[in-house]
Amino acid sequence: MLIGIAFWVLAVIAVATGLAVFVVNSMARATYALAVSFIAVGVQILLLQQNYLGLITILMMVMEMAVMAVYMVMFMGMNPALMPMDMTHGKKTAIATSVGVFVLLAGGALLIPWPQRRGSPPADLTHALGLEIMGEKMLVMAVVGAVMVATIVAGVVLASHRTRYDRFGDDLRHRRVNDAQPGGGKQ
Amino acid sequence: MTDSGLVTVSAGWAVVAGAILCSLAVFAIALDTGLTARAQGARGGWTTIAGRFARLLRQRRRTTVAADTMLWRAGGVGMFIGAFFMVAVIPLGQWTLADLDVGVVWLNTIDVLVWALVWLTGWGANSTYSLIGGYRFLAHGLAYELPLMFALVAPAIAAGSLNVGAVAAAQDDDLWFVVWMPVAFLIYLIGVMGFSVWGPFAAAVATDITGGAGTELSAVDRLVFHAGRYLFLAAGAAFSVPLFLGGGAGPWLPDWTWVLIKTLAVLAVLVWSRRKIPLMRPDRFMTIGWTLLLPAIVVQDLVVSVLVVWKG
Amino acid sequence: MGMTAIIAKLAVRAVRVLIVEVPGQWLTRVELEDQMLRRGWRRAWAPADADVLAVCGTPGPELTPLVDRLWEQMPGPRVRANMCSSSTVSSALNDAATLYVDTDQHAKDARERAQEPQIPHDDMDHSGHGSHDHSGMEDSGHDHMSHSGHDGMDHDNHTGMHHNGHGEIDHSGADHMNHSGNDSMDHDEVDHDSHADMHHNGDDHMDHSGHNGHGGMDHSGLEDSGHDHSGHGGMDHSGHGGMDMSPGGIPLAQGGPDRDGLEMDVLHLPLGPVLAYWPAGLVLDCTLQGDVVVDSEASIVDGRDHEHSLHVFAPDLRAALLCDNVMALLALAGADDLAARARQARDCLLRGDHTAALDRLERLIRTIRRSWLLRWSLQGVLVLEQVDLHRHSLPASCRGDAYDRMLRTLARIQAAVGGAGPMIDDDVSWQVLPNLVTGLELATLRLAVASVNLRLHPTTQGGKA
Repeated sequence: MLIGIAFWVLAVIAVATGLAVFVVNSMARATYALAVSFIAVGVQILLLQQNYLGLITILMMVMEMAVMAVYMVMFMGMNPALMPMDMTHGKKTAIATSVGVFVLLAGGALLIPWPQRRGSPPADLTHALGLEIMGEKMLVMAVVGAVMVATIVAGVVLASHRTRYDRFGDDLRHRRVNDAQPGGGKQ
Repeated sequence: MTDSGLVTVSAGWAVVAGAILCSLAVFAIALDTGLTARAQGARGGWTTIAGRFARLLRQRRRTTVAADTMLWRAGGVGMFIGAFFMVAVIPLGQWTLADLDVGVVWLNTIDVLVWALVWLTGWGANSTYSLIGGYRFLAHGLAYELPLMFALVAPAIAAGSLNVGAVAAAQDDDLWFVVWMPVAFLIYLIGVMGFSVWGPFAAAVATDITGGAGTELSAVDRLVFHAGRYLFLAAGAAFSVPLFLGGGAGPWLPDWTWVLIKTLAVLAVLVWSRRKIPLMRPDRFMTIGWTLLLPAIVVQDLVVSVLVVWKG
Repeated sequence: MGMTAIIAKLAVRAVRVLIVEVPGQWLTRVELEDQMLRRGWRRAWAPADADVLAVCGTPGPELTPLVDRLWEQMPGPRVRANMCSSSTVSSALNDAATLYVDTDQHAKDARERAQEPQIPHDDMDHSGHGSHDHSGMEDSGHDHMSHSGHDGMDHDNHTGMHHNGHGEIDHSGADHMNHSGNDSMDHDEVDHDSHADMHHNGDDHMDHSGHNGHGGMDHSGLEDSGHDHSGHGGMDHSGHGGMDMSPGGIPLAQGGPDRDGLEMDVLHLPLGPVLAYWPAGLVLDCTLQGDVVVDSEASIVDGRDHEHSLHVFAPDLRAALLCDNVMALLALAGADDLAARARQARDCLLRGDHTAALDRLERLIRTIRRSWLLRWSLQGVLVLEQVDLHRHSLPASCRGDAYDRMLRTLARIQAAVGGAGPMIDDDVSWQVLPNLVTGLELATLRLAVASVNLRLHPTTQGGKA
């Protein structure tokens, strides 16, 4: 009963703040409306007794929104949300796509013949879920994770117009790194 | 749900837990004020706590032109209540408010919320210094958060559980984790100072930008924001006890006393260290975080994992 | 009544004071700091946190409106304490304490004052060039309210425009109040190469050499980035014809290329004249991108009034002043304990107690040398090599980074107090400051400014930087 109420309250919060993302006229508010929406979803996952997944969802999404703020200053400057702005664009395509996706998912959820539960749920749901999804491919997954990080780092390095020759000199022997904003390592 | 042997007390005890947390924060403030006064050659100092409290209660709230008041206030209030959530999973001896199976992740989740809260406080005021403070915190966060996450991994690997009680219990008949994972402990303390915006990591509220994220705060808004920092510091210190310092283990006294004593000791070290360590400038600490702390803690995790596997 | 009185009685023991130091009145400020310490009062960094506004000295015509602005921004209960000289500090603080607990008076003040924060109307010049008029920021001194703004839209039209204005007005404008440069408002594409030249004139000594090399080449990409940005931002361009206006009457920020060649908004922030651990009376009008100062212009508040004030003090006084500078640098670096020691050494010098001063200096220097974290924090801040000294005609004592300079200053104080004769006056003129600090990040800038001993009272006619 209590869980039922919590579920519906969270569902309403998640959808309402999700809608707010497109209604509010400030980028900061849109960002954090999205964060609240994700937090509500994370708590719902907690209700499913997937504690680990629920907390990780909240953790990742809040951090993601904070990092979004870093991108805001990188690309938009210091205080872009002061000016009220419309948070939507490409409206027709977006609406068509979102309605289509919603119909597909909601239809799927309603029309699929969900299987009946056989047996009882395992003690550690997260563990079971992980095995079900990844199974024997755990090693591959772990390697893919490392490769993804390497890709990100390599992407940043390639995107930067400053090379190590700019930083350390043509013979790569400058002791003092020639950076616009020096870091704390080599001085 | 878990076999940590903890007693989950009823929700009413949350009041007591909150009171203990507040007392710890007051202790931190008193110690800091006393040390400051001593360094400046003045007497007393710690007696002014009530005065500071009264001053902020008496002050009027203010707003700024075109402030995003909702986000601004949300940041401050969030800072205040965040730490209370954090301590919910810390076992005080045998008792805990919530015996969460993923308590360590819980700590991590709450501390990541600070990213949002400090930034919102900095942003909402619509003031340059304030905003620079908010962004400075993110710069620090990007440097300390990943090492902190890996530091939290180490005790969890050693205990084979993310449950805080289980982590504490794993140290019962064994060496405390602080002994054989000192790097993780150190980086954990750095992380605590980071998410408390404290001492060397207070660049976001520093003097050179007139108080940074807190520049425009007055009255009760200032009170909750800065009290929140102390509460987080206290909660972080309390969390280090089950993670690294053997929980309630100790001779003669009951285990809950040991938890409090160890917490006070860690808290005192954190408060004292502010006087000895200058500000970690965010731009420079970024390099330290990624080239020094992160590799160090990954190696620490590796060592811990190898030892755990080796011991079976 | 009882409760209110008790709270007031408690609160008066923890009052925070916002200090306004009129140029040349540093001894009054020192006395004020001393008196505050005895009362357990602490310094406020911003008006929002201040209960008492302490004005050391008599502010001149330029400083007076700024002080009034700060007064407006104080939340209340607020008390203003004027102290013309160090002898009146004690009585002024006594009066302030009495006024501070007078709750009825504060309630009356709260009713009568403006209920909403406002930008003074003289800043709100929206007559067709609101978005480019930064006068609201330029003259607001410490006014935190009016700095921000954003041009949320239409970057591709205005990118060039701003550069033009930026170059022609901000760089060369003698009177920084006068930003009504409508001539820079043409929405034509502006020659970016010329902008690049302008932009780098001021800071070619900095680390922007890489940037310089890209010059015109990068600016085509920059146009794209501006354009992309407005596309991605997803803003509704059509509805914003009135882009001059913005919430609260705050002028909008404009974009400009940052050091990585990306379009980024610029923001104007005046540092000083009322700022803790900042040379009194100095105003550095900074143009910020993020927290990087891409352009700056220095001036002295009420510069003309202080021509008569003598710069060279008695040897002890001068040593104490240098000690005060070291204290500011240490405080900004976050080394509170060391700053407190520098302050004690300063107070000993002012009392004429040479033995105690030498002892404190000795211990201070020893601790500083031992603290590798402090060295890490200050190293590489505003490195001045021989060529830089020559180019900006700086004295040899400025060589090295902030850490070197601090130790050198301390050694000089030590020598002077130890009886090695009077110190040479080789302070740096404030006019060179913009050339030194442009391109630095804000925290570094604060450390850099604190690390050079500035001569603020011009011995010659004060000119523009």
